[in-house]
Amino acid sequence: MALNPMEQFTIKPLIAEPLFAIAGHPIYFTNQALLMIIVVVASSLFLTLAVKPGRLVPTRGQSMAEISYEFVANMIHTATGEDGLKFFPFVFTLFMFVLCSNFFGMIPGSFTVTSQIAVTLALACLVMLIVIITGFAKHGLRFFMLFVPKAPIYILPLLVVIELISFCSRPISLSVRLFANMLAGHTLLAVFAGFVVSLGAAGGLLAPLSVAPLLLIVGILLLEFLVAFLQAYVFAILTCIYLNEALHLHDHH
Amino acid sequence: MQEHAATTETTEAPKKEGGFPPFDTTTFPTQFFWLVVTFAFLFTVMWRLAGPKINAAITNRRGTINGAIAEASKARAEAEAAQAGYETALAGARSRGNALAEETRQKLNAEIARAKAEADSKAADAMAAAEARIAQTRETAKGHVKTAARDAAIAIVERLTGDKVSAEDATAALGN
Repeated sequence: MALNPMEQFTIKPLIAEPLFAIAGHPIYFTNQALLMIIVVVASSLFLTLAVKPGRLVPTRGQSMAEISYEFVANMIHTATGEDGLKFFPFVFTLFMFVLCSNFFGMIPGSFTVTSQIAVTLALACLVMLIVIITGFAKHGLRFFMLFVPKAPIYILPLLVVIELISFCSRPISLSVRLFANMLAGHTLLAVFAGFVVSLGAAGGLLAPLSVAPLLLIVGILLLEFLVAFLQAYVFAILTCIYLNEALHLHDHH
Repeated sequence: MQEHAATTETTEAPKKEGGFPPFDTTTFPTQFFWLVVTFAFLFTVMWRLAGPKINAAITNRRGTINGAIAEASKARAEAEAAQAGYETALAGARSRGNALAEETRQKLNAEIARAKAEADSKAADAMAAAEARIAQTRETAKGHVKTAARDAAIAIVERLTGDKVSAEDATAALGN
């Protein structure tokens, strides 16, 4: 049981009794809830306490906060242009939430919030909801032109269907990409860690062989740090790209 | 959650061993609840606190740096103007100095020429005077030679003949 690589994704209540119920569903305080709270409190404290507006030469912490701020601001600016900047708080929150969740998940023994499809799907649906609201607010019914690309009339029906399917599959692809990446990486680490333990426990000639999966773990761990950042970036940049389509339809490009 | 699932729904019980935890739908309400709470909290902080604060820090720095750059370029322009003024003054002073030197040299040259001419004329006068004196002395000496010849002639005649010859006769006898 201890070697089950899926064990790490189990959501366990830290307090046995449910806190309260919403529409008949009991709400627990779980290991995932604890990690979410740690993630948002840590990133809030870091991004507010490390920064002093009057500081001409930033400290290391302030520099990091400013770099993340400008990174997201530039991302929005290049993907959606000037008018996309009003979504900055949302995209910044999304990016920091996913990034910090991924990185806090790298701590051994902690929990990866983004390895849960419920979380990533909820975030992706929120993104699509905001995209749809923005689109209708800005263009009204002309927003449906998003599904009508510039093409000869005889292939339009086919293209509209393809565009519709593509649009509707976005929340799935957006959420599954993040979920699967985090899940796969952590599962792989746990599997190789299991190899180390079982080879070591086998004893005799097999014991020294346990070094091989250990080295692999080190390599995969480094890769996972890259993936943790990359997936947060991909999630945020795709959000920007979808927002750009809602803001400018197809006439932007 | 799975303990809960096991106690409330017996159908969930077999999932406990072989189930895939992320697809355990009994955990979804709790997950959604905490996601909404924490995400809303983080959004509020980013929107109201962290975002404006970081933006202010970046804007402040940009403003300070741009101000410093503007100030520096102003100071530089001033320095360049001062340098240009200095160079103009220097060029003026140099040309004035050159003019003054030239004037002085010409004045000195004129004075030297004048002094030289004066000295030359003085020397010429002195030379003329000296030549006149030499000529006079020569005449005088010539006169003395005649007198000496006459006296000698008188003395010779007197010794030879015993006659006294007058000076006029002696002179006449000597001729010129």
